[in-house]
Amino acid sequence: MNSPQGKWLATGAHAGSPVNGKHFRTRRQSALGGKLNQRQTQKEATRRRVLDAARDLFETVGYEETTVREIATQAGVAVGSVFTCFASKAEVLSQVMLDRLEDLYAELDRITPHLRGSVVDRLSSIFALHYAFETRRTPLFLAHIAAAYSWRPGSDAVPYGRNPRLRGMIFDCIAEGRERGEVTQEADIALIVDTLMAAYAWNYRLAAWEQAGPDQMSAVLERQITLIAEGFRPSAAA
Amino acid sequence: MKHVAEVDSQAETRVRMPTRRAMAKQQTRAKVLAAARELFSTEGYEGATIRDIAASAGMSTGAVFANFADKSELFREIMVFDMAAVLEAMNEAAARGRTVDDALLKAFGAGYTFYRGQIHLVRAALGLSWSCDTGPALRELPAMQDTVELFAEQLALGVQRGELSQECEIKLRSQMLFDSYLANYAHAVFGGWSLEALQARSRDQIRVILAGARRG
Repeated sequence: MNSPQGKWLATGAHAGSPVNGKHFRTRRQSALGGKLNQRQTQKEATRRRVLDAARDLFETVGYEETTVREIATQAGVAVGSVFTCFASKAEVLSQVMLDRLEDLYAELDRITPHLRGSVVDRLSSIFALHYAFETRRTPLFLAHIAAAYSWRPGSDAVPYGRNPRLRGMIFDCIAEGRERGEVTQEADIALIVDTLMAAYAWNYRLAAWEQAGPDQMSAVLERQITLIAEGFRPSAAA
Repeated sequence: MKHVAEVDSQAETRVRMPTRRAMAKQQTRAKVLAAARELFSTEGYEGATIRDIAASAGMSTGAVFANFADKSELFREIMVFDMAAVLEAMNEAAARGRTVDDALLKAFGAGYTFYRGQIHLVRAALGLSWSCDTGPALRELPAMQDTVELFAEQLALGVQRGELSQECEIKLRSQMLFDSYLANYAHAVFGGWSLEALQARSRDQIRVILAGARRG
């Protein structure tokens, strides 16, 4: 059971490695260019089908309950094809969750230019939108966090918590606050972002352990943001 | 009353002189736990099978199952033991701190030092605590709440010493300290951070979390 899977895993990682891909192209591009593109397109289509099938199954049946074989059947591809695109089920989940985020960020891109009020208000709004979005599928989101920690080193998957877009938004929001004079010039913004992200992430335990809804989580985080903001407010304005 | 005392003394005798069978059982459990710890640390939680753990402990799978219901119970036993030990180390370290920042930093550092070299174990613990079936049992371990309490005590001492303001919201701040303390383990798991890097980050985080509490 373990060894064929291990083999697939190695093959998948090999094909995904940019170094090997480049090497392969330079050597054979002239002869195989057309075929390679075709193969690439085919692989992309398979990948898409796998992701669509996985998303449906994860949402209706659950992550733990869904097997790779079931994903393959639903997608109409061979089990082996799933493993040429993804190293593991956890990696499929990671991609499904990343794809979902596109909707959230489209929403945020629309909303953030219209945010008004203090830095605390704006930060609270950005985080609240995240909570509202993720708690639509709390079990799947929690499975995503749990799966992140089962990944082995060398996996292509993005670990939970590396959310550069959210980080970027929070950073910009505080930097703009500094321009408006709400934040002291000496503030170490990257560090503040880090601390807020820790509080944001671990508040999901309220959803996991106490069945809290997004409003309750947002309320807690707003108090936490307020508390951190006491530390970065310029003393003259206080 | 006399009757009760008699029962108590009997119970005490039983504790002092366990039967040979109970002792053998104790030894078996200890052997299984040692093997499990070793395998969880090198193979991770998913990678370590009961079969491997039994083989490594030199016994049958059946003998393991006679002592532990399943793999998650094995893991929980190890966590209970470790978390009690780490909490004690953190308490001792905090007691040596001169200021509130110093005490908190020493406590964080004691935690990270304890788990250094056991990063797979940490990875497994963090993952399992978020999972639906194994999570609740792990999260409800008293040591989790006790760690937050430890931070709260240090903040209260800071207030007493006049380092922090009276209205510094100890409960919320100690929770945030705990969040940052835990979040740094993810840096160790995914980013391979060294102990020094973790401590440097902790020092900054503690400063940010306490910044607002020093005014007023």
